[in-house]
Amino acid sequence: MSGVGPMYPNEKPEHPYLSKSYVGDLLGNYSSRFCAGCGYGIIAQIYTRVFEDEQLDPFLHPLVIGIGCYAQIMLLVHSKAQKILTLHGRAPAIATGMKMANPKMKPIIFSGDGDSMGIGGNHFIHLCRRNLDCVELVFNNSIYGMTGGQGAPTTLFGAKSSTTPYKMFENKADAVKIALAAGATYVARTTVAHPRTFMKYFKKALKHKGTSVIEIVTPCVTYFGRKNLDNLGFEGEEGSKMDTGGKMIEWIRRNSVRNNQAKFMTEEELFNKYVIGEFRYEPNKPEYADEYAKIQKIAMEGKK
Amino acid sequence: MISEKRFLQAGKHLMMGNEAMSEGAIAAGCTFFGGYPITPSTEVIEHLAKRLPEVGGVCMQMEDELASINAVMGASLVGAKAMTATSGPGLALMAETISMGANLEIPFVFCDVQRNGPGTGYVTEPHHNDIGFARFSGNGEFQIIALAPMNCQELYDLTITAFNFAEKYRCPVFLMSDAYLGHLHEVVDIPTREEILKKIIKRELPANTKGRVFSYKDPSTGEYVIPSPPIMGTEYCPGLFLHQPHGPDGLPTPKPIVFQEMLIEKITSKMDEISLTETYKLDDADIVIVSYGLPVRSSYRAVDIAREEGIKVGIFRLITVWPFPDEKVKVAVKDAKAVIVPELNYTGVIAEQVERVTKLETPVIKIPKVAEFHHPDDILKVIREVAK
Repeated sequence: MSGVGPMYPNEKPEHPYLSKSYVGDLLGNYSSRFCAGCGYGIIAQIYTRVFEDEQLDPFLHPLVIGIGCYAQIMLLVHSKAQKILTLHGRAPAIATGMKMANPKMKPIIFSGDGDSMGIGGNHFIHLCRRNLDCVELVFNNSIYGMTGGQGAPTTLFGAKSSTTPYKMFENKADAVKIALAAGATYVARTTVAHPRTFMKYFKKALKHKGTSVIEIVTPCVTYFGRKNLDNLGFEGEEGSKMDTGGKMIEWIRRNSVRNNQAKFMTEEELFNKYVIGEFRYEPNKPEYADEYAKIQKIAMEGKK
Repeated sequence: MISEKRFLQAGKHLMMGNEAMSEGAIAAGCTFFGGYPITPSTEVIEHLAKRLPEVGGVCMQMEDELASINAVMGASLVGAKAMTATSGPGLALMAETISMGANLEIPFVFCDVQRNGPGTGYVTEPHHNDIGFARFSGNGEFQIIALAPMNCQELYDLTITAFNFAEKYRCPVFLMSDAYLGHLHEVVDIPTREEILKKIIKRELPANTKGRVFSYKDPSTGEYVIPSPPIMGTEYCPGLFLHQPHGPDGLPTPKPIVFQEMLIEKITSKMDEISLTETYKLDDADIVIVSYGLPVRSSYRAVDIAREEGIKVGIFRLITVWPFPDEKVKVAVKDAKAVIVPELNYTGVIAEQVERVTKLETPVIKIPKVAEFHHPDDILKVIREVAK
């Protein structure tokens, strides 16, 4: 538990929501364990803000956290949120069990790109397929940050990482396209450079009955930004450095295309770009736990 | 939520082993089953898919074994009694989460309908080859409880016991069935609902949960008193420390050994309650048969014939296979001339354990069988040779 103790006891939170964070509430320590320039602090703050503003019932919104850098987010999110750190990639399966055993719940799943596109891809697909009432947030920093910057399924073409030292040559996985194909009923992508949009989407997802998938593009300065130029190795373009949080957020903003603009762009123009916006919103699709309750009713009445 | 109306009526029922186990689970109050079809355990999920919704439970066919066991863990986290059933290859996939379940101290029951291996093996043949795997079923060191039934009645009864052990000791509990036993049809005597309700341990919240840390040790006696499992969605859920390794005081500890010791000691210190055994004509026996599961049934016949011939032989049967009851076996084989271990596997995992506790001069004779029954004659032949 190093680094959690009160390092700066006299430090005062600048933001009213910061004092609601777990460590802030418990120990009066308002530091985070993320690298400088990381985007997870923004996500944690928005979660805490929504939790506080919407007065979410902590007993009905368990937080299921997978494995990755972002797992440390549990120290920053709202102190009242009940959270469980699960296995790498298995968070959707655990959330399924929780939701089915207590159908009043609406689990909120935090997962990374390695979690939901790599090791837990199957669980992610089947969560969307069942349209189970939950919110899955996919944090996409296009790198395996916790283990030291290895290539991820979402690493952009041409990017360097410690397992792709020359360049990344695999096609990248697209969480939004997979979620759409698998049948999630609310699918959106945003970035930490657009925090207000994320807040809007997150609030919408909480009110939506069915699987909501929100992919959030977030910077990893330490392992992605430092190793790559913003042209990602393309010849003919002059790249500039992305070694600070500000530069990377600026790059993410430049590299994102809105959904409505993307419709008029060719595939080549959209290559390595993040298309952001809402992709699907179908509030009236049957939800798994509701459907199962109907099955239980049939079975209890003894009809066949 | 649970509807009491549709429980099985008391009395005698002809049932398949897998069904008996499923009914045992329903009787014990299981409300969540997550599974994936695998021969020879498929009848469990088939039966429960029909029966669990009738009593207000949930039976889910998940996308794979990894998801099944994780869904079971998730359901157990929010207060449902949960179980899964699989076979060897499924156990291999679930190993990761069994280890996690032991770490989080989340109770669940795990039924392993063992089949022949390695790899895919001969899928419809029985083979007690997961006995060793069950003991070390995951990364890290932890202790599980494994029970070995030998007939359909025990499949029903021991499933209830397994749920009770899981709730009490907060660890994964294994039921080591096999392909023959799972498909065996026998008459099962179902007790009345009142009798069952008296036996089962319910998942309950302790009083005054708010802001309290529950110690795992009784301060006056120093014995382990395991608090009931935390339930997410109630006040009885420790904020951040649910997944944190903790000491016997219930608080997070920076010393891994403190947690490791507690994880194992909380079970092994309760051997008297956990270790279930049976004996048959053992009092004056020179030759002791130590066995578990199906081979015990062949041994009964072999012992009866041998006794008629004047050979003093008896059976020491393990119902709880893991943790291995060292002391009880030691006492049983103390004066034995020889120990015979008929086992439904080739290497003799339990025979090795028996060798560990017998005296050096006492021979331990294995009777390995793979994918077939021990005929009583197979055991009798060995008994006669030893008695000469």
